[in-house]
Amino acid sequence: MFRTSWACRTCLYRLPRQVVWRQLRFQSTTSAGNISPALIARARSMTSEHSQLSKQLADAFESKTAKKIGELTPVVSALKDWDKANESLRELKTLIDDPSTDKELRDLATEDIEQSKGQLSRASQILASSLIPKHPFADLPCFLEVRPGIGGGEAAIFAGDLVKMFQAYCSKNGLNVAILKLETADGTSNLSLSGAGLTEAILEIDSPGAYGIFSCEAGVHRVQRVPATETKGRTHTSAASVIVLPSFPANGSEELDFNDPNSDFFVDPKDVRVDVMRASGAGGQHVNKTESAVRLTHIPTNTVAASQEQRSQARNKEQAWTMLRARIAQARREAREEEMVRLRRSVVGVAKTGRQDKIRTYNWNQQRVTDHRSGLSVHDLDDVIEGGDTLEKVMASVRAWMVDQEILGLVAEVESQK
Amino acid sequence: MPRISPSALRQARAISPLLPQLLRPCRELQSAQNELRWLREHAVKVASTKQWPQWHSYLQVLCRKRGKGVPLQYLLGSEYFGDLEIICKPGVLIPRPETAASVTFLVERLTEKGHQLPGELRVLDLCTGTGCIPLLFRHEFSRRSSTRLRLMGVDISRAAVELALQNQGRLETPPRVYTAFSFHQADVLSPNLSNPSASCPPLFEVLNDQGHMQWDILISNPPYISPQSFFRDTARSVRNFEPHLALVPPSSPIVPDEEKGDPFYPRLLEIAEKLNVKVVLFEVADLQQADRVAEMAQRGGIWKGIEIWRDEPSAPSHQNETGHVQFPTLGRGNGRSVFCWRDAAKSWLGAAARAA
Repeated sequence: MFRTSWACRTCLYRLPRQVVWRQLRFQSTTSAGNISPALIARARSMTSEHSQLSKQLADAFESKTAKKIGELTPVVSALKDWDKANESLRELKTLIDDPSTDKELRDLATEDIEQSKGQLSRASQILASSLIPKHPFADLPCFLEVRPGIGGGEAAIFAGDLVKMFQAYCSKNGLNVAILKLETADGTSNLSLSGAGLTEAILEIDSPGAYGIFSCEAGVHRVQRVPATETKGRTHTSAASVIVLPSFPANGSEELDFNDPNSDFFVDPKDVRVDVMRASGAGGQHVNKTESAVRLTHIPTNTVAASQEQRSQARNKEQAWTMLRARIAQARREAREEEMVRLRRSVVGVAKTGRQDKIRTYNWNQQRVTDHRSGLSVHDLDDVIEGGDTLEKVMASVRAWMVDQEILGLVAEVESQK
Repeated sequence: MPRISPSALRQARAISPLLPQLLRPCRELQSAQNELRWLREHAVKVASTKQWPQWHSYLQVLCRKRGKGVPLQYLLGSEYFGDLEIICKPGVLIPRPETAASVTFLVERLTEKGHQLPGELRVLDLCTGTGCIPLLFRHEFSRRSSTRLRLMGVDISRAAVELALQNQGRLETPPRVYTAFSFHQADVLSPNLSNPSASCPPLFEVLNDQGHMQWDILISNPPYISPQSFFRDTARSVRNFEPHLALVPPSSPIVPDEEKGDPFYPRLLEIAEKLNVKVVLFEVADLQQADRVAEMAQRGGIWKGIEIWRDEPSAPSHQNETGHVQFPTLGRGNGRSVFCWRDAAKSWLGAAARAA
């Protein structure tokens, strides 16, 4: 081999790369056997807050406090379980380490210790997931948008398959689904009649909690199969993108209810400073100012509304209030829309609809569905495509994975605060 | 008074040729623009009813008058007092927004939740002028409470009583909420002090004629500016165009200058005692006068609680504004009114009485 007069350097460098981990598929699930001390500290502080609030509630009932307690209770009970598991494990360990323990007891303890370890890891997982604040939109209905990605006609057909899959899933799980928009490549709006596949579909899943169920579906779904359009029997890889967005309740007449704290238009009068332009100096009978301007400042957002159109100060105040309410409502709506845009971008970035950014692969040749986030592979592809229990299994695994990710994020956040 | 800078005048002229003369009474461009807009609206309205041939010539006349200092309210014929539009005419004092704030605050205090009011509330307003105080009291009170009202306004000036009656007619509401509402001409100060308008009957004579010698609430915005302060502190449009009678009380030359604004208050307190009044609210010029009036009331010995209210009594009071006054002081701004109540009115005022 060394007799070769020369060897291409580039080829030499490339040589080791051929063995690169091509066949390996990583799983990203974490086994949360051990829980970060930062999280434990957080749970402890929440528990002390809980007991404090309980005392307050015993003195005087207040719905806000009661709600807060309701939010904290899962953490408290999870921490109690974790403490218990920890305690029993420690007892067993001391029993084993103690030289005075007789052999029979020690054997029993060794048997039990495995069980306790399992209990502890389960308790840790429950504790960690109870610490995650619930997603603010989890209870809302959602919109599901499906569009074909790379792969031309095959991608369009696969996108249509996905829409059918989601529809079937919804009907099997008792969720109300409505088609808001459905466009096929040949212009018909009926998916089952069209052979050309889909260009865009928007489904509205009008059941509370739908966003929590479907948020794990957002991303690029990849398909590997011999398409119907293929004449030479080659396997193609195509993709379709799914976007999941929360659907906010329609703000119709209820928007105008200023006293409803959930309304966009609700402004707490306590948060507003009223400035009336009054005569400086003596005032009263001494002067006769005609100024009737009123300025309102919403202190938390620093929003200002002023009116000086009318001669009547009372009317100016009314006008200023109307303006202030509209401005604050507008700002709130904008913030919400910004959050939507952020969600949309995080789901499908501008250049992130390629095959390599997939979240899940549907492989027809192997009858396999693999989710690349949870690492779960199932081999009942037909049931998945029909929206059956296997799809639910895959989705559940992804939801568990998302919880794990949240825990990791939470740990990072808590530790960075220190 | 500082001169208006030529640049401000130039700026005003660039917006409208009528604006510079309005700048003289208004001092600020923004408020001059507001006044010009209101005057224009008024001129167009008057011209449309054929009282004047051309609206812009009428607007020029109005602006010229306003530039000389005639109060805007006399030109437009009305002023807003709380929610109400009150007719104003030369010869009668223009209602001030601070008075409206005090009256509204009084009504709010009386109608707070859980307060026990008598079956009928009798309200007497002395030196009523345009009648704005009883009118606003009725308007605000009937919105919040179903207690019946008996209202009376008294003024020494014939023109004022006529205008008050006119305002009452314009703002008439169904008589469900009050049993009686009247305005009378009477002299509040006699027989204690001699005054030039001897043609006017004394207050007690009028009340006796009407058969109402018992009242629950006494409100008054009497003349309270001392002659010295009248020449020194009042605005030109007030000094030159509003009635001297409504601003400066008659006073004897022997009292010190700063107390020459006070002669109405001892008399008002005396009237309150005679009429068995439970709650009084007097408007005053500033914190010093408020202090003097509150001390007079304290010397009387019949008042259970004495408070001083500022321009905006409902606003949270600043810590740094209280201090040198020995009475509880509420709100924000200049000292504006003195509020006293008797033991019998404790249940009307509820929480306020408990705090004091």
